[in-house]
Amino acid sequence: MSAGKTGTKIAAIIIIIIIIAAAAGWWYTTTRPPAKKAKIAVLFDVGGRGDLSFNDMAWLGAEKAMEDFKVDVTYLTPPSLADMKPLLEEYASSGEYSLLVLIGFLWTTPLNETADKYPDQKFALIDATTGVVRPNEVDILFREQECACLMGIAAAGMAHTLGGDTVAACAGMDIPPLWKFHIGYLFGVKYYDLKMGTTTNFLWTYTGTFTDPSIGKEYTRGLLEQGAKVVYGLAGLTHLGSFEAVKEWHKTTGELVFAMGQDASQEWIDPEHIPISGAKRVDVAVYTAIKMVVKGPWEGGIITLGLKEEGVGIWDIDGVKWFAEQASSAGRLAPELTPDKVADTVSQLRETYITPEVWDLIHDLEDDIKAGRIVFKTPMTHDEYESIISALMAAQSLEDLNVALEKGSVS
Amino acid sequence: MRSEKLASWRLIEYTTIAVEITGSIALGLVVAGSILALLGYDPARGIFLLVFGGLRNPDYLLSRAAFIAMTALAFSIPLLAGVFNIGGEGQMYLGGLAALLAAVYSGNAAVAILAGGLAGAALGLIIGALKAYRDVNEVVSAIMLNLTLFYVIVYAITAELYDPVAPHESIKVPKGARLGVIRFGGLKLHIIFPLMLALVAVAYYLLYHTKLGYEIRASGFSPKAARYAGIDPKKTSVYSMVIGGFFAGVGGALNVVGFTYYIDNLLTCMYGMGFTGIGVALMGRNNPIGVALASIFFSMLVLGGSRMQMLMRVPKEVADTLSGVIIVALSLPYAYRMLISYIRIRRMVGVGAEQHS
Repeated sequence: MSAGKTGTKIAAIIIIIIIIAAAAGWWYTTTRPPAKKAKIAVLFDVGGRGDLSFNDMAWLGAEKAMEDFKVDVTYLTPPSLADMKPLLEEYASSGEYSLLVLIGFLWTTPLNETADKYPDQKFALIDATTGVVRPNEVDILFREQECACLMGIAAAGMAHTLGGDTVAACAGMDIPPLWKFHIGYLFGVKYYDLKMGTTTNFLWTYTGTFTDPSIGKEYTRGLLEQGAKVVYGLAGLTHLGSFEAVKEWHKTTGELVFAMGQDASQEWIDPEHIPISGAKRVDVAVYTAIKMVVKGPWEGGIITLGLKEEGVGIWDIDGVKWFAEQASSAGRLAPELTPDKVADTVSQLRETYITPEVWDLIHDLEDDIKAGRIVFKTPMTHDEYESIISALMAAQSLEDLNVALEKGSVS
Repeated sequence: MRSEKLASWRLIEYTTIAVEITGSIALGLVVAGSILALLGYDPARGIFLLVFGGLRNPDYLLSRAAFIAMTALAFSIPLLAGVFNIGGEGQMYLGGLAALLAAVYSGNAAVAILAGGLAGAALGLIIGALKAYRDVNEVVSAIMLNLTLFYVIVYAITAELYDPVAPHESIKVPKGARLGVIRFGGLKLHIIFPLMLALVAVAYYLLYHTKLGYEIRASGFSPKAARYAGIDPKKTSVYSMVIGGFFAGVGGALNVVGFTYYIDNLLTCMYGMGFTGIGVALMGRNNPIGVALASIFFSMLVLGGSRMQMLMRVPKEVADTLSGVIIVALSLPYAYRMLISYIRIRRMVGVGAEQHS
């Protein structure tokens, strides 16, 4: 065998290998998905999923985004507050995720200390703000006043149909989102009074906690003893105690009183006593944040969601039924109830105790807000909040209510 | 001759421990893997992430071990003297609060840690003294104190010490009083980890190389024999509670001054870490060196659990359950031995009393 023949043989083998490798490479690259899916991580606060309210709704928004935008969304519940900052730094520095969605105000300080170190990582903070505008951070807040004022009208209406004249709220902590609820709720009650020519007593109490139902129950009992007919629960887990107190009050005194829920639709917990819930659509906020990253345009800063964006509102019967179905599949719905039954009971209650005139008032105000004719003020300091509240409490005419408005007027 | 016998005993002892630990780990992993498989997750990947997922962030891993090791010592030192210190939780809260206040007023980290330790020790003293001299069950008083302190501190943070910018947080530890990080090139390490190692060494020296340590261990083995040897077991048990409380308080201080730099109004930065210490103490076989290793292992499971949640979309509850299974499996042999020796001593004492009468 000559040397030349061996040379051609080796050359032939090399060429064949190259061709196979090229073919394999071509096959490999063309059969693999053309673009990598965007990866997004949702980081909950220490409560995590399973609350059938705030956190579960956040995940709902993420799931919807996953379907609509074909992104890959994953989630994490940190073991404790001490873990939030190191976890956030770990995922921000890894650069694995195109967006980190942070749920709840506990993330404020960890984010504030992390965001500047990783300018290429995008963050979205839901329902809280660091107070700093950064190009890589978007804070999504809600205009709670717009939902609370409608709830105030409904509450005042129900209190008068029930033969009383007092409405109340069992609130969590004295923090900015609750200031906005307070202003909106009081605005709605006064608006009802001045339109209908009635006088309604307004009771507002801070329990100082979002996690203690027994405290909520205690405070609510106090409110009912002061004659409250409707108690608005604005304290997360704490106001689950308000629902209990309202039920017990009806049982022991025979006097019908109502509670109102907030954030998720909470009618399913006790449809006989909870005719209506305010909506705070954390799901819409999460969806909006993911959409900004996937579809653009991304712009750092603060975004607020109100009635117009469907970020807040009143849950309609479809929403009530949907949450009852979720509760039922999680095994939390009372055994004697079905989602249909919940929806029926609630719509009957709403028909009986919220009269058509009250609905008209609600819809008129809602239209004004949606069209942007009315914009609420957002208090920046505790003093400003207190001065708005005392001005509203003293309001004698509809014009006096304008103190709570940034733009527009009611008449 | 004697030393040879001792050496062979030691060998048997170490072999038993090695067999027990391997067996426990294997059992824990099999149970955890079956749970994952039953729930429809990939068991091999899950277990891998759970055990090794935390290793990619060594600083976080070791820092997190630091305060857990302290609460574990808070349980294990009194246990050696025969007292159950369930109060590590409350001692840690109080230590954290005292450290925060001391840091704010003195601006010095060492003062803050000492203040935290002393606050925890004072609490340990109360529980220990009530047990020794008034026969108040230490478990009951500790649990009541835990709960009371939780609310007192929640009140203190919500009403008095809150940060006006973020009302759910306490005022921050001033910059000068923070224990920072050590950096070598690209690597960093929170100072609290070497500090924890030093404290563990102190605990080891105290228990095995001092008279007090000997007295603590002797009165734990058999109070009657200890009294015969001239040791006052009651006094010793109070000392052990004071030392335990001191370590728990330091744990709270390390958390506040060395890692989180504030306390939130629901105490989630410390909540449950005192109770976690109990499991870690048993896993570490009540020995300071074992405790240090166990706290690092526990920290691996916590971080690995987070990693597993993130990559496999396993709910947090499942991740916690799996770490729980592994911790229980690792604690079982020691807890079993403790129980057996306790029963045996009881029986021996009982037999002795019968013969005496």
